[in-house]
Amino acid sequence: MEANPIVLDDTAGDVVVVVVEGEHDIYTAPTLRERLDEALDRGGGIVVDLTAATFVDSSVLGALLDARRRALEAKQGFVVCVGDTVEPGVQRILDITGLVPVLPVLRRRDEAIAAARNGAHG
Amino acid sequence: MSGRPEVLLTMPARPEGVGVVRQALAGMADALDFEASVLADMKMAVTEACTNVVVHAYDADSGMLEVEMLAAENGLTIVVRDHGSGIQPRGSAGRGTEVRMTFAYSRDADPADANPVTGTVGIDGRWDPEAPSHGSPAGG
Repeated sequence: MEANPIVLDDTAGDVVVVVVEGEHDIYTAPTLRERLDEALDRGGGIVVDLTAATFVDSSVLGALLDARRRALEAKQGFVVCVGDTVEPGVQRILDITGLVPVLPVLRRRDEAIAAARNGAHG
Repeated sequence: MSGRPEVLLTMPARPEGVGVVRQALAGMADALDFEASVLADMKMAVTEACTNVVVHAYDADSGMLEVEMLAAENGLTIVVRDHGSGIQPRGSAGRGTEVRMTFAYSRDADPADANPVTGTVGIDGRWDPEAPSHGSPAGG
């Protein structure tokens, strides 16, 4: 079993959720980019759910920003969610980089799905 | 005080090694009773320094990443080092770079004393393990 999985959840219909769990860095960033490409190719809104992520680095943020830019160009919604209790290894880098309003980052997945469905971006 | 933990990791500078460094750091921080929020900062700083080595230190896939973790009286010092071409004027020979970070055990410590974050590139762009760190307390 993959220790740090990145999977697509399309149960929300027109919004696909990229679920990121565990620790992610330069080693797993290429896999994240592939999953984000798959999500973008579906043509609807995109939510990246970091609720179960315990650590992300700048390689991950770079992948998210690239995907956000492409979503913006294609007029697809793009929203990140982190859950109600955010891991320090996720919260800190988002705070330092000032990306919470940019990506944008919301708390709950259902809020994020609704925002992405309405075409939200940072 | 004797018995303070010291760790030296040497591994190929490849992406899969960065997570190994984080695991070792987490074990060290747990043994030294760091707060979770401080460990998060340590992981972030060390990950970015190691990633810099993986991405920039070597032209070919042949160099090594070295990480030292040294527990001292006021904090844990972590050194991330490579032996690549370093940061230097074009055309001159180099011997790598080093980033040295110290994290205080206590939030009450004077950050100027306990948290010098320094990068050391020696004379003529050569990495010199004996060179004084610009951000060390002694050097201002």
